[in-house]
Amino acid sequence: MFACFYVFDFPVQACLLPELAEARRVLHRSPLAILDGPANLPRVFATNAVARHAGIQIGMTKLQVETYSGVLLRTRSIAMEGVAQNTLVQLAGTFSPRVESTCPGAVIMDLAGTEKLLGPWKNATHTMVSKAAAAGLNLRIAIAANPDAAFHAASGFSANTIIPAGEETRKLASLSVSSLPASPEILEILDGWGIRTFESLAALPEVAVVERLGQEGLYFQKLARGRINRPLLTVRPVTDFVERFEFDDPVETLESLLFILNRLLQRLCSRLISASLATHELRLTMGLEVRQIQDGQEGEGYKHDWKLPVPTQDKNLLFGLVCIHLEKATFTAPIRKLTLEVIPVNPRVAQGNLFAPPSPEPEKLEITLERIREVVGSVDEEGAACVGSSRLLDNHKPGSFSVEHFSGMGGLPDFYQPQVPVSALRVFRPAIETSVQLQGERPHFVRLWRRHRRVLAASGPWSSSGSWWNSSAWAREEWDVLVRVPAGVGLYRIYHDYIRKQWFVEGVFD
Amino acid sequence: MNATLLRTEIERKIPCAFQAYRRAEHGSIRTGIAQIDDAVQGAPLRALTEICGNWSSSGKTSVLLSLLAQATRDHFCALVDASDSFDPGSGQAAGICLPRLLWVRCGKNRVKLPPVEQAFKVADILLQSSGFGLIAVDLGGVPESVVRRVPLSLWFRFSRVVEKQSAALVFIEQEPHATSCAGLVLRVMTEAPAFVGNLITQCNLKIEVARGREKKPVRSERAGFSLRMQWA
Repeated sequence: MFACFYVFDFPVQACLLPELAEARRVLHRSPLAILDGPANLPRVFATNAVARHAGIQIGMTKLQVETYSGVLLRTRSIAMEGVAQNTLVQLAGTFSPRVESTCPGAVIMDLAGTEKLLGPWKNATHTMVSKAAAAGLNLRIAIAANPDAAFHAASGFSANTIIPAGEETRKLASLSVSSLPASPEILEILDGWGIRTFESLAALPEVAVVERLGQEGLYFQKLARGRINRPLLTVRPVTDFVERFEFDDPVETLESLLFILNRLLQRLCSRLISASLATHELRLTMGLEVRQIQDGQEGEGYKHDWKLPVPTQDKNLLFGLVCIHLEKATFTAPIRKLTLEVIPVNPRVAQGNLFAPPSPEPEKLEITLERIREVVGSVDEEGAACVGSSRLLDNHKPGSFSVEHFSGMGGLPDFYQPQVPVSALRVFRPAIETSVQLQGERPHFVRLWRRHRRVLAASGPWSSSGSWWNSSAWAREEWDVLVRVPAGVGLYRIYHDYIRKQWFVEGVFD
Repeated sequence: MNATLLRTEIERKIPCAFQAYRRAEHGSIRTGIAQIDDAVQGAPLRALTEICGNWSSSGKTSVLLSLLAQATRDHFCALVDASDSFDPGSGQAAGICLPRLLWVRCGKNRVKLPPVEQAFKVADILLQSSGFGLIAVDLGGVPESVVRRVPLSLWFRFSRVVEKQSAALVFIEQEPHATSCAGLVLRVMTEAPAFVGNLITQCNLKIEVARGREKKPVRSERAGFSLRMQWA
């Protein structure tokens, strides 16, 4: 058996897809027309049932429609129609692996082998309709023994239809021949013969039809009889999880922006959950109204990525990250459009390590780190991160380290052994320039805190150098000097930079 | 009316009248320095600890790194570095498991807040997000005059918040400022380092328990210990 999902008034439903469920219900009860065409003369492209009942017809100009009171007008969105079609394919994919994207607003899927999974067809159609409604689409469903019979029943009848095998001709009899994919010439010929329904076309003798209309006519007759069996041109649901939104008028306030972002994230997370997936990366792209210069880069957009340590399906977590970031972000132009993308990955199915120490909850940790970055900043002037876990670099340059993302999942290294307490160095970043008076080759006086201080004892010199083969070469001579300071005695590390020919105070042992 | 009857009568009206208040034991994180652990059992959980020492070679940072080395064995920890003076090399030499330590470098970005204010805000955020066993705030490199201006109400709030968390909150300062809000105050002092030939091999330190968890000691306890240098 085959099932067809048919979205009636597809352009209208696609246009209303970003709206909240409650707002969508209200809009469906109001006369709504979708305009398309050149900006100076847009015409009605699609309407909903209420608008048709009010007398609005396809092809009317905007001026004509505006004479009707209370009619809502929207501009056609090709992008949203694409999103709606993809949603439809994904929805069908949750019921069957073999799905055909037949035309905009219609998909056909093969239900072979799913009888025990879905139960009786009547119950299955209820489940399908409710799932589609949750995804924001109102469907008509038809189930039949062949794809085309299912498609014609779904598009032609105003209710869900189940056609038992062998009864296609009888069930489709009342449909109009205008719903066949025939050329206007053939439809005109049929009209001239007085053939207006499937039943009339199906009753004609086959040989006579072929003699007058050719093989094409025979094909239409078989369609009318519901006798064509063809393989499905299956498609794979688009795996990218992207939501787009374009504002009618550019927005300047954070509240308006967050309102839409919340809904887009809600939809993305719903799609992730329905596909049993999670995400570990969220990408936000915003199109600005005019060109702008930000952070030294000229561009019309703003981009930001969030990488999560663990996959998540939690909308609130993602929304929290976006909120914290946007609260501190500034834009020089109003925002015209939004694109949100999540990278789908398999969700975390088990706890990583049962014997791991209690750690910050990974989902909340990312929010915490983002809030901290808001206070202290993301990176310093040298490009190193301000928040993270440190890692020593595998080279001999003193004080070389990197700051990496803190995942809250680090374990003890295999070779870990508790150390005995050692004297720690407090580092001055950047190192303090100083002057040193030598006696022989040993430091005798060091300028510290604006005064020359006598060196009580000195340990050194400890020479090192490296990277002489590239531009980041370094060469230095270290001394650990004991000097008297107002607070007592202090043990400082000073070094002479051979390349810059300057003495520096690197830090103090504390 | 005899005493027993009187006691029963009072307890009927005021149930807790004759019950002695005992502070709940919440455990502590050992510092890895035997002299300190013997005296105070380490940094107490659910309390504010201050480790103080003058700005030049007092040994307070070494005590902190030793504490972090012990803490990162069993907990995830955070170090809020107000003056960006933490040396990861020293941390690894002290035995800190660096992947388990969240390092927050304050004052490195062109943000409006001064580093001390950043440090306190970050500590507040970390306290609100549970999961860290030890949160250390290093104010040792901040001028004493700046830290002194921190209002007492802030210390009080920190002490009340950390009481509800299963974490130790440790401040490194030049002088103690939290007064009665601190559960433990340690003062660290240094003496001249020991040389072997041209090489410094160890630093000798003294530690004083200025305030304990239960009550302020009538006479401060002092203990001496040595820290070897990283290369010794």
